[in-house]
Amino acid sequence: MLLVIAGALFVGAQGQSGPPTDEQRAARIAGQVRCPTCRGLSAADSDAPAADFIRQESLRRVRAGQTDNEIVGFFVSRYGNDILLKPEARGIAGLVWALPAAGLVVAIGGLVVVFRRWRARPGATVTDADRALVEEALRQSGSSGR
Amino acid sequence: MNAVLGSAGVALGLAAALLGVATLAIGLRKGDGRFLRAGQRYVWLVLGGAIVATVAMQVALIGHDFSLDYVARNGSRSTPLLYTITGMWSALEGSILLWALVLAGYLAVMARHFRSRASDPLVAWATLTALLVAAFFFALMAGPANPFRVVSGLVPSDGQGPNPLLQNHVLVALHPPMLYLGYVGFTVTFAFAIAALVTGRVGEGWLVETRRWTMFAWGFLTAGVVMGAWWSYEVLGWGGYWAWDPVENSSFLPWLTATAYIHSVMVQERRGMLRVWNLSLLIATFSLTILGTFLTRSGVLDSVHAFSDSPLGPILLAFFAVVVAVSIALVGWRGDRLRSPGSIDSPVSREGAFLANNVAFAAFAFVVLLGTVFPLIAEAINGDRLSVGAPYFDRMTMPVGFTLLFLMAVAPALPWRKASGELLHRRLQWPAWVATITIVACVAAGLRGLAPLIAFGLGAFAAAAAGRQLVLSTRAALRAGEGRWRGLVGRANGGMVVHLGVVVVAVAFAASSSYGHRRQFRMEPGQTASVAGHTVTYLGSTETRRPNKATVAARVRVDGGRVFEPAVHRFPFATQAIGSPSVRVGPFDDVYLTLVSSPEEGQTAAVIGVNVQPLVVWLWIGGGIMAFGTLLAGWPGRRRRPAGGPQSADDQAHTEPPPAGDDSPSAPAQGPPVPVGPASA
Repeated sequence: MLLVIAGALFVGAQGQSGPPTDEQRAARIAGQVRCPTCRGLSAADSDAPAADFIRQESLRRVRAGQTDNEIVGFFVSRYGNDILLKPEARGIAGLVWALPAAGLVVAIGGLVVVFRRWRARPGATVTDADRALVEEALRQSGSSGR
Repeated sequence: MNAVLGSAGVALGLAAALLGVATLAIGLRKGDGRFLRAGQRYVWLVLGGAIVATVAMQVALIGHDFSLDYVARNGSRSTPLLYTITGMWSALEGSILLWALVLAGYLAVMARHFRSRASDPLVAWATLTALLVAAFFFALMAGPANPFRVVSGLVPSDGQGPNPLLQNHVLVALHPPMLYLGYVGFTVTFAFAIAALVTGRVGEGWLVETRRWTMFAWGFLTAGVVMGAWWSYEVLGWGGYWAWDPVENSSFLPWLTATAYIHSVMVQERRGMLRVWNLSLLIATFSLTILGTFLTRSGVLDSVHAFSDSPLGPILLAFFAVVVAVSIALVGWRGDRLRSPGSIDSPVSREGAFLANNVAFAAFAFVVLLGTVFPLIAEAINGDRLSVGAPYFDRMTMPVGFTLLFLMAVAPALPWRKASGELLHRRLQWPAWVATITIVACVAAGLRGLAPLIAFGLGAFAAAAAGRQLVLSTRAALRAGEGRWRGLVGRANGGMVVHLGVVVVAVAFAASSSYGHRRQFRMEPGQTASVAGHTVTYLGSTETRRPNKATVAARVRVDGGRVFEPAVHRFPFATQAIGSPSVRVGPFDDVYLTLVSSPEEGQTAAVIGVNVQPLVVWLWIGGGIMAFGTLLAGWPGRRRRPAGGPQSADDQAHTEPPPAGDDSPSAPAQGPPVPVGPASA
């Protein structure tokens, strides 16, 4: 079953990875850049004129042969660092990526420690006398209905 | 007149809340039941104050009493009646009033529900805590956020009307009240958590007491969040429904921690474990509602420097800090009683799965919170301005979402304590096959992309697991000689219905965000364009003028059938034009039309935006299923009904000890305080 799933996912992931068209590349870049005149929407999602400019400019520069990084770099130099919707992974901004990763490591580490401790705790062994006691208690609560 | 009446209502509410707190405090100190019972009665005065204030506000809004500053800013003679009424929650001060009203309502229901136990310190402390919160909100209205402030100088003859975005769609009447019923509902659970800590009765009793309250609040919060997304889709016109906007995030954050809580609470009820964790989740949920109000209402998120603009910001932040500090101090103080005796034997067990679920939800909430406040932190540290937007949240939350879908599939099949491989194999076999067939079918149908395919597969896995559970419980109900529907009610079964709703939402989310097509066309009347198999024909545009707005609407025929009218509105007091999209809703995909730019003077061509996204309607349907499932989960089950009980059994379910065989480990205390739970030994 796992083989079937892996095979299907492999085929499914393959179909997409052909070289992207210029339009796809431009749209992807616009999706990473904030629309300068709106709050929180990407340039790809907004109908504002400034967003339209970013879309056109991305496409023009893609066609002119610039790399994605160069184009994004142009927008950063023009509008400032906060134009990027996905902060860079360096400087203060890197924290937004590092903190969740660190949190995950701590959480998993904590869980491992807790399970170890629970494991190490000697489990109570149940004797026949205990079982008899439980059965007696159950029978009583069953008849009296509490 | 309205101002006087409204201010009197606010004053009454504030005074009654404070007197109630004082009376309860005296009663608790002296251990005198008479004071405790008297303290409870102030709740009704608080409710009275809130109702008087609300009525005064509505009379002022509907009667166009522009001597009130709030009405002058948020009402106008040309605004339709519905949006005049909803004007009450179109701005800050009125929203606080709505908050206070909902809280007063909850307080009253609480007082009535626990009326036979008014002298129980647990109930008294819970009421006291909730009254303190109410006093805070009434104090806001008496001071910095006064909705009944009178305009200085001349009374204007007309007002500005609500924000144009808030007078465009009926959902404005539903989404905020739903959200507030959810938000504020967690105050009750929080109040009981604080009461449990203060009285030291930190066992499982208070959990059982508040179980249905939590479920109720969670259902409303879910409906509120989904309706918010729906409103955003129908009104904002960018074609999406979720932008990871700070406002959306702050409604989503308490939902995440509350969802974690309603899962982990089952571990505590069953095994007496995770006490500190559950209290922390409740405290987090309540404080996140306050933090969310602070983030969205203080204007702080635009820039740290906007901080001083609103006097409310620092006050809300201080309240948030007090709530967190007091709660943590209480948890620390009761630390010894909170230590739980149990342990989890195996990670592959129901409680292990709940634990994993909680880690995932906590991670989810952490990432969303961090991303939301990070621009603030960065600016505070070194003045850097940066944005954290959708690409970040998508990247970070996708793996968590997949983990949660996977757990949703596996957890219902896991027994408590320990699972054997053989048992798992038997229970998960056919859900796993459903998932496999789904993925293969999707690939065969030509769908591509790793993320959506994984989402569909895991969705199918989870849906099949929930379906299996429901089939089993329905069969069991039939065998027991009860109606088939008995297999759908109760927490476990209703929960599975909620899971089905979550799967529907997740699949719709994955499909609509992965397989959308977005285009813009400049079209002359009569021209046709096609997007993703749909044809759109631009027929021309019309202009209409109403007293409250001027509208240019494009008439667009979709697929040769119905004509839709995306439009642009201009409101007299707004500088920006507001677009309103028009959507051809379909079971398979939506065709979302916007008028990007209307024909210019003397020309006929318009720019039409066309956005085709699959399965969007299933987001709202999934949300509906989740709300319905919550209703089923909260439905009084057979086992909760005392033997031979009358119809009012629902009302007594919390106060009567559950009969033997109930899955809750300890009976809630009734009458005099009894130590509850094994920890107090």
